[in-house]
Amino acid sequence: MSSTARSGRLRRALAIGIAATFAASLTACAPTQSDGSDVTLTVWSWRPEDVDSYNKIFDVFEKENPGITVEFKAFKATEYNQILATGLAGSEGPDVPQVRSFGDLQPTVAAGSLVALDDDIDFSTWDPNLMATALGADDGKIYAVPLARQMWQMYYNKDIFEQEGLEVPTTWDEFIDVNQTLLDADLIPMSLGAKDSWTLPLTHEVVAASRFGGGEFAEKRVTGQTDFNDPDWVASTELFGELAKFFPKDTTGITFGDAQALFTSERAGMFPGGAADLAPLQAANPDLNIGVFQVPAAPDSPEGSGATTANWADGNFGLSSKSKHPEEALALIQWMATPEFGQMVADDIKQISAVPGVQPSDPILREMNELANASGSPYLLYSGFCGGSPCGITTWGSGLQELLLGSKDATTISKELEESVSWFTPAPAQ
Amino acid sequence: MSAAVNLSAAGRRRLSPGRAGVTFLLWAYAVFALLPLALMVIGSLRPNSDLLRDPAGIPTNLTLDNFVEAWTTGNFAEYFGNSLLITAGSVVITVVVATLASYAIARSRSRIIQGIEALFLSGLVMPLHLAVLPIFFLFEQLGLVDSRLGLTLLYAASGIAFATFVLTTFFRQLPVELEEAAALDGANQLTTFIQIMVPLVRPAIATVAVFQFVPIWNDFFFPLVLLRTESNYPLPVGLTTFFGEHASNYAVAFAGLVITTIPLVALFLLATKQIVAGLTAGMSK
Amino acid sequence: MRRRTALLFTAPALLLFAVFILYPMFTMFSYAFFSWAGTARGGFVGLDNFVTLFTRAPFTTDLPRAAMNNLTFFIGLMVFQNSIGIGIAYALQSRPRIRQSLQTIYATPYLIGPIIVGYLWSLLLSPVFGPVNSALRALGLDSLAVAWLGEPSTAPWVVIGVSVWQWIGFPVLLYGAAFGGIPAELGEAARMDGATNRQVFFRVTLPLLMPAVGTMTVLTFIFAMEVFALPYAFGGSTGSPAGSIDFVSLLFYRVAFGSGATDAIGNASALAVLLFLVIFGGAFAATRLLRRYESRLVG
Repeated sequence: MSSTARSGRLRRALAIGIAATFAASLTACAPTQSDGSDVTLTVWSWRPEDVDSYNKIFDVFEKENPGITVEFKAFKATEYNQILATGLAGSEGPDVPQVRSFGDLQPTVAAGSLVALDDDIDFSTWDPNLMATALGADDGKIYAVPLARQMWQMYYNKDIFEQEGLEVPTTWDEFIDVNQTLLDADLIPMSLGAKDSWTLPLTHEVVAASRFGGGEFAEKRVTGQTDFNDPDWVASTELFGELAKFFPKDTTGITFGDAQALFTSERAGMFPGGAADLAPLQAANPDLNIGVFQVPAAPDSPEGSGATTANWADGNFGLSSKSKHPEEALALIQWMATPEFGQMVADDIKQISAVPGVQPSDPILREMNELANASGSPYLLYSGFCGGSPCGITTWGSGLQELLLGSKDATTISKELEESVSWFTPAPAQ
Repeated sequence: MSAAVNLSAAGRRRLSPGRAGVTFLLWAYAVFALLPLALMVIGSLRPNSDLLRDPAGIPTNLTLDNFVEAWTTGNFAEYFGNSLLITAGSVVITVVVATLASYAIARSRSRIIQGIEALFLSGLVMPLHLAVLPIFFLFEQLGLVDSRLGLTLLYAASGIAFATFVLTTFFRQLPVELEEAAALDGANQLTTFIQIMVPLVRPAIATVAVFQFVPIWNDFFFPLVLLRTESNYPLPVGLTTFFGEHASNYAVAFAGLVITTIPLVALFLLATKQIVAGLTAGMSK
Repeated sequence: MRRRTALLFTAPALLLFAVFILYPMFTMFSYAFFSWAGTARGGFVGLDNFVTLFTRAPFTTDLPRAAMNNLTFFIGLMVFQNSIGIGIAYALQSRPRIRQSLQTIYATPYLIGPIIVGYLWSLLLSPVFGPVNSALRALGLDSLAVAWLGEPSTAPWVVIGVSVWQWIGFPVLLYGAAFGGIPAELGEAARMDGATNRQVFFRVTLPLLMPAVGTMTVLTFIFAMEVFALPYAFGGSTGSPAGSIDFVSLLFYRVAFGSGATDAIGNASALAVLLFLVIFGGAFAATRLLRRYESRLVG
């Protein structure tokens, strides 16, 4: 689940400006219990696609907690930030809002809108990589319950591969061969929608993270031991540029939604995408035979760096400090940290739950999850470099667009990225 | 129509190839102007499966189902009602207060009034959407968050600048003798205003009404921040709700777009006559 | 009219205007002088936020670029909408029977909301699914079938083109009315002196059109500096591709709501103040010049 403009051409374009989406609330607006006080909690989200699923999930909570009604409201993702900001600042805001991750979370924390959850929920068994998304930058306290584990890998069309006599590549050379074969067969090797620039840093992670050194590089960068002018980073960028011939022609004019459509209409063999994209892909073409793999390690990768999956947590839910029903809201949020909730998220919303021990039921999601568990790394630009202005993802996305357009080279855009994050202060090395 | 622009000898006009060429270009541009609108309308009449396969292709199957679905399950009936309420409401308010104010501005020589005119005109350069946060807090204080009334008042205020701009020009052109005559007949200021002056600026009012109606009807930005309940949403916001929930149902989405745009086309066609008359009268001094 | 009556007449408008326009605008300006933690206001910081606009990223790279884009947009609009607008208005003057219908048709794009416009044109121009490129290829014009919204060199022209397409009704109407206001005798007199139609147009008609052109200039300037919805619909809040259609108002939106910086509101408000000053200053200067030209024309 990405926190920026998503999928369909239409969804994106209209999303982009037209207001908020409000999901028809299936739960009763007015409490109907005959006995005593009925409490209504409002939950806000930027996922109108998940309305029905969440209502089903909250029905379970309501049954277990008579006297509490949960009202789920969803708004369009691209406008969610301002709706949330004004909502939490006002008096009729949500009790349990979905909040952004990493740097995007900080304005909400800084405004004092969220309650720290360290004392009320035990997160000791949770993946620290995922917990990092919910921390306040200044005090290191936990301000949200991670919802779903996001990751990007390479989707592929099993039927097309079979047709072309291809197998999942296990070495970089095999990966290039696969691309070349697809290109020669007049298919689009990797369907990339570069117009939606946020997809580019993620695709860079998918194909080239091994070349810059994955998690180890991330650690070094964040502690200030290296910067984005590092030769490994620049080389990984050059690699990305070399793959340009395998992206669709005019990729900078193609939206993420178009790219998905190209894949689901079987005009492309592969599609770099996220775990959250599986459900829409399957919905668009139920007959599509989808598989997934990690791109093999690139040549000349640093010692010990292999294929890896960038992953993080998204869709985290926080507790509003202005909630009129703090006890009930806390109960709800505590329930969101339980495997019961996590399993429903995995099954109904088709996301990989962040709750430890919960496995998604969809086999492809499970495979992605296992690959990431075996070798995962942080999504560096999001985890470390979105806590200021400009957000690293924006700059890097724009830079990679220029690389694809041929107007700038890898060294230049890496330098520009480094200059743009001058606001960043390194964390102490551990 | 000005003869200064006429090509000279009347006989030469009809048949020159140059003239035919220009006429052709004019009509060609007309097609170009309407093309996306046509695309939208055609898209709304095709079943969604067709659209997904071939978004801009030639339609084979035509159906009205999309409209039915948009109006009922898509809640567009409700959004439509809200849009009508908010937009018409704000236009009415603006017209009333601006006409009153413009008349006073046109007829008064007081420095204060001239200052007020400058103030209103400065509203033309104020990008209101930049002030969304203070507006939200203001609404909070006034208890107007999630209220259609609040939104209506905001829009009404935003229309004052342009309305004043147009109406003062028109009022200034009306001869003072009219009021003098009315005064001689014993009418007071207000009666004169309502019964004599206002009807004379009807074209201007029509112009103002249309030019305010359209952007407000299409606005998505302020309802986004200031409204919370779905039952209060106007069409543009309802459209996104719809897209969010039924992401791949493009055909019904197009139907929603058509529902959103057609009333404006109707209004515009009705008001055009008045507007053209108004602008022409205003220009030729 | 007596002053007291006048004040009574203006009171309702004044009240509405003061509460919903003046107060928020001034409050917003004041925000620029404070520090911010999210939506919680901190202490007074004087001009710090303004200094940031000229010294810190992303403003040092994005602000000049966005401002350039606004300027190019303004110039592009002036060139195309005036030439096409005057051209059409002129042609329509001598075609009274179809004038009304054509004027109405030309004005209809104005009625379509900007988001819908953005969506429809993105669809039309899509390199994968759009009919424009397919049509160009069918006509053998392959070299023109580029990714219109994917190339930084063409994307700004698309925004200009679609803006002109959307708003052409207004200049056509305005110039049409202006043509109508030019007395016939002037043209007749010139022709009697032996002037050709062309000379009449450029030496007599066009100069008399200047006041209308002036009005158009001021309004276009304001629009070009504030423009938000259309570029947002085409390129998102980043002005994709590669910031080629990034405008100042997009930058404002991005900074205010899209970044992880906790002091965003202060900087965004400073930007808003700056933008307002530019718009106000520009409009004021242009109007003064216009008045002076008009009085020279008349007097």
